[in-house]
Amino acid sequence: MEKKPITRNDLIKVEDFLYEIPTSFRGDMRVSARVFLSEEMLDAVLDDKSLEQLVNVTTLPGIKKHAFAMPDIHQGYGFPIGGLAATAIHEGGVISPGGIGYDINCGVRLLVTSLYASEITPYLENLATALYHQVPSGVGQGGKIDLSMGELDKILKHGAAHAVAMGYGNESDLEYCEERGCLRNADPSLISDRAKKRGLDQLGTLGSGNHFLEVQRVSEIFDEKVAQTFGLELDRIVVMIHCGSRGLGHQTCTDYVRLMMNKMSGWGIQLPDRELACAPFTSPEGQEYFMAMAAAANFAWANRHVIAHHVREAFKTVIGDSVVINTLYDVSHNIGKLERHTIDGAPMELLVHRKGATRAFGPGRKELPAKYHAVGQPVLIPGTMGTSSYVMVGASEGMEKAFGTSCHGAGRKLSRTKAKEMVRGSELRDLLESKGIIIRCDSNAGLAEEAPLAYKDVDNVVNVVHGAALAYKVACCKPLAVVKGG
Amino acid sequence: MKDFELLPHTADIKLRVYGASLEELFRHALQGMFQSISPQSEYCVEKQDRLVCQKLTRQHEVEVRSADQELLLVDFLSEALYLSDIHNEAYFDLDIHTLTHEHVKATVKGVPITGFEVVEIKAVTYNDLKVEYKDGIWQADVVFDI
Repeated sequence: MEKKPITRNDLIKVEDFLYEIPTSFRGDMRVSARVFLSEEMLDAVLDDKSLEQLVNVTTLPGIKKHAFAMPDIHQGYGFPIGGLAATAIHEGGVISPGGIGYDINCGVRLLVTSLYASEITPYLENLATALYHQVPSGVGQGGKIDLSMGELDKILKHGAAHAVAMGYGNESDLEYCEERGCLRNADPSLISDRAKKRGLDQLGTLGSGNHFLEVQRVSEIFDEKVAQTFGLELDRIVVMIHCGSRGLGHQTCTDYVRLMMNKMSGWGIQLPDRELACAPFTSPEGQEYFMAMAAAANFAWANRHVIAHHVREAFKTVIGDSVVINTLYDVSHNIGKLERHTIDGAPMELLVHRKGATRAFGPGRKELPAKYHAVGQPVLIPGTMGTSSYVMVGASEGMEKAFGTSCHGAGRKLSRTKAKEMVRGSELRDLLESKGIIIRCDSNAGLAEEAPLAYKDVDNVVNVVHGAALAYKVACCKPLAVVKGG
Repeated sequence: MKDFELLPHTADIKLRVYGASLEELFRHALQGMFQSISPQSEYCVEKQDRLVCQKLTRQHEVEVRSADQELLLVDFLSEALYLSDIHNEAYFDLDIHTLTHEHVKATVKGVPITGFEVVEIKAVTYNDLKVEYKDGIWQADVVFDI
């Protein structure tokens, strides 16, 4: 199928903040492609291959309604980042490892402390240093914990709950993780030995790239009632952790993309990009990947759980025992989930791929913890260094519009090379520090690549999500200290 | 002829690799993958944006079979990435023992590292993958997830 370039004229406005590329655009589309954007964002999105990648997603067997993209959409591999696809598992629907991503269960955890901004100021420098040492990047040298194969298998099977059994975190932390930090269908025996070897020394490590740990101050409240339910108030100190399943997850995805690539012709599946490799969900290979993915996702939850423990230790060492730190929520933004959604009035079992997209369930869903049941789930949107992060709440309208899904961040707009051409890491470090933001990151080049100018304006992205009623703004948080690997 | 260059990509690393032979293409792809993330090693120094290592002290045998030439290049690089992660090493050269369109057997050679200057590569992807032979030159495009 010839891939013709997508222009502004190919996008039809469905309603405010929602555009569609109809199935007439390309002969191999099974459904239309829908993207949530503001008018002002359109040109930038047309600049890279992200919409072409979204059109490619519409060709997946069994895909329902539309292939969706969130406003932080940008070019990825296979799926665009910010991509969402739901396949009907009982109608030949597929599961695609590339549609979940190499960093399986990359996600965000937000911790709420008992401190206010004025109380933390004198400690901030020392706290940032302590966090930097307590939470290693683990890149090129591994982390602090060396697991045995037996223990690793328990983490793969039980996720964050086994981290609690090992002495990291507590039961309450589990209550406030998506899936309580464990996908129960996980089968550790389906994770290859090589993936396990990569994970043995990586529990409790951040990784590199856009992964980070930030101490933030709640700078604005948009919805007092929901903020209260989430335990947020103005000037409260929170800690945001963004990371995933490390080499174990990367290898698991690599293993199964390779496996499926070699089998697709046997299933009669032809796709426009090899990276979309997939298997019918009900096939043995589809089931094996689903159970392996669950195990890798469990590793990621345990990873964020252990990092949260190290954060508590750092606060305790620097500030004292009196600081209380609770988990507000932990969300996954690279994952495949079996969910029930209503399509044309009928409930349907779907495999929902979220690739750089966050589940944003509205009120009343049984998946939510009791405390959040009446208001909807917390949706955690990390911004870029020096800008804002947001806490949002899932909306009922979003359940209908996009399978209960929101964006996952600001979304890149400039390549890493371009970012480095435009800003020097040392200057950026000075600029952020002049704003009172403490940076702990060894690499100036790493800082430059993640410079705020390389990303879309997170305020605009979040306003589209809010305007489209996918999720609503609850609070804005500004960084005080940033710890980055790389 | 260049050995490799970075192509524009919004989020990830896209590398175009050149080689006078298929063997050279594999060598330059291996070098391009590791040079583009600047490994940190006491055995290497940076000269004109490239890492130059005194001696490649670590080596491993790699053998990969794949369905075609494009998949073979990605699967070979994935193997080197796996070795890099578990041994904390980076590889800058190789001896090829066997190389067909579906099978490669080689010894990769590298150095111990303590990290990467900017990012680690999560995976070698099959996205927009191309391996071509034209006008007497082998050329490959590979996207790395970072």
